[in-house]
Amino acid sequence: MAHAPIKETIVEKPVWLTSFYFRHKIWTLIVLVVTCLLALLFLGPYLYLLLTSLKPSAEAVTAPPTLWPSKFSIENYRKMFEYLPIGKYFFNSLITAGASTILSVFFGAMAAYGISRFSSITGSYFLLFTLVIRMVPMISIAIPMYMIVKSMGLIDTHFALILVYTSLNVPFAIWLMIGFFDSVPKEFDEAARVDGCSWIGAFIRIILPVSLPGLATTAIFTFMLAWNDFLFSLLMTSTNAKTATVGISEFLTAYNLDLGPMTAAAISFSLPVMIFSFFVQRYIVSGMTLGAVKE
Amino acid sequence: MRLKNGALSTIFFFPAGIFMLVFLVYPIFLLIRDSFYKIDIINPSLREFVGFANYTNSLTSERFLKALWNTVVYIGVAVGFEFILGLILALLLSNAFKGSQFIRTLLLSPLMLAPLVTGIIWKFMLNDQFGIVNWGLYKLGILSDPHQILWLSDSRFALYSTIIADIWLTTPFIMLVLLAGIKGIPISLYESADMDGANKWHKFRYITFPSLIPVATVALLIRMIDAARTFDIVWVLTQGGPGFSSELLSTYMYKTLTRYGEVGQSSAMAVIFIIILLVLSSFFITKMWSPRRRHS
Repeated sequence: MAHAPIKETIVEKPVWLTSFYFRHKIWTLIVLVVTCLLALLFLGPYLYLLLTSLKPSAEAVTAPPTLWPSKFSIENYRKMFEYLPIGKYFFNSLITAGASTILSVFFGAMAAYGISRFSSITGSYFLLFTLVIRMVPMISIAIPMYMIVKSMGLIDTHFALILVYTSLNVPFAIWLMIGFFDSVPKEFDEAARVDGCSWIGAFIRIILPVSLPGLATTAIFTFMLAWNDFLFSLLMTSTNAKTATVGISEFLTAYNLDLGPMTAAAISFSLPVMIFSFFVQRYIVSGMTLGAVKE
Repeated sequence: MRLKNGALSTIFFFPAGIFMLVFLVYPIFLLIRDSFYKIDIINPSLREFVGFANYTNSLTSERFLKALWNTVVYIGVAVGFEFILGLILALLLSNAFKGSQFIRTLLLSPLMLAPLVTGIIWKFMLNDQFGIVNWGLYKLGILSDPHQILWLSDSRFALYSTIIADIWLTTPFIMLVLLAGIKGIPISLYESADMDGANKWHKFRYITFPSLIPVATVALLIRMIDAARTFDIVWVLTQGGPGFSSELLSTYMYKTLTRYGEVGQSSAMAVIFIIILLVLSSFFITKMWSPRRRHS
């Protein structure tokens, strides 16, 4: 029961649409071809980046451009380490995204549980607030955030980015977790209470374990938001805590004629994520559609 | 269960509330306050109350209005194309055939891609010297010279080039949400339509499309807000240039803050921006949200 939101993602074999929409084989064939073409259109650019990163460094910027590498080479991947301390940038990204994910998922889940179980109208206004926060352009909130971080003396520290990412992600985590907690029957925590658990105890021992899929979904999203962030890192870091996104973007300005290593860095940054999201896409689908399609 | 509910709710909300208060509510308060001051970022002790001067400066500045207009164009064109393409893809993928599941999975992976990487991909492909887009168009005979279109450095095309990258990145999101909406339509509706002898177009026009409206509204709202906030893609591709031809409110605000150090001015722009977004989206919110709805 607790897993309901995951399972109702997308029906695996929608036989009814096949039979009602497209009855004939020829239609199915046309649909197949068009779909494949469109899929290629959306995957092509990324595959092109991948192929480019595997070309010899000079071949990445030739005119006319080549599609297929003349020979596969890891030269770009070697060079990217020589040009910039890219390993350190990746480490910074991992630390800040990881820590902020743990914090925002835990605090977000707590708040969502409180709203889901103990309040009606006030909780709904908290939700409205999270919705409004989502509408605030990041750049505008970045201005005063920068001033606050500066006055705390935290500019260019991991801690500053962790604080910022956590704050940005907490409303989102609440929003996502509410849906999952609402689907956990109240009898679960009531039973735990009868057995002598405190509310906090019931939350940690009963509710969190049964909403593990929800926690995973939320964690994936909050991690991605922090991992992919460019703006706040650009604004708040300079040397010490600079993350990979800002590091990669520096190839554009610093090595304008040797873009091969930049493609290698972009691939190293995103390929693990792409592969990962391929395997956990069930969770991604449920997370993305939960807020939009529920009710 | 009802006893002390308010207190319990507060306890659970407390840690998250602290974060939101210190780093979201307080900043917005600072933002509004600063928008009435003239502030030098180098020397923050220089603060001078200027009333609404920052606002009138922005609203009468040609560059601000240009950035505002560009943002509107960006939202309209990007979200419009994303919706149409997303709808087509969702309708196609809602048909079960061998491999449709796999294609859907493939289309989902780019959703996790950083906007920055998207910017880099398209910066690469749209390059007028060695970019594959121009060479492809040349080989197809559409262009007479592979260096003919300066996608990113011609002021006529720069904004639309950034929009192409945006469409590429987020159409799968719209597709996904609409696909989930299509799957939620009860089969019985199609069955009874079939008995009435409805054709494919009728079924789309009178069943699929109306059923999708609530879902589509939410998807469009989310995308509109996100498109309005776009920064990374445009920053990587053009930095708002050439000239101010692809300048969006977000890039203009960033420059006002970091290059010109005018905190007060950029704050005023941010407040105007937030107000516009709130007015636009309050229409959607009142339609889809009411405080009692969740518990009814």
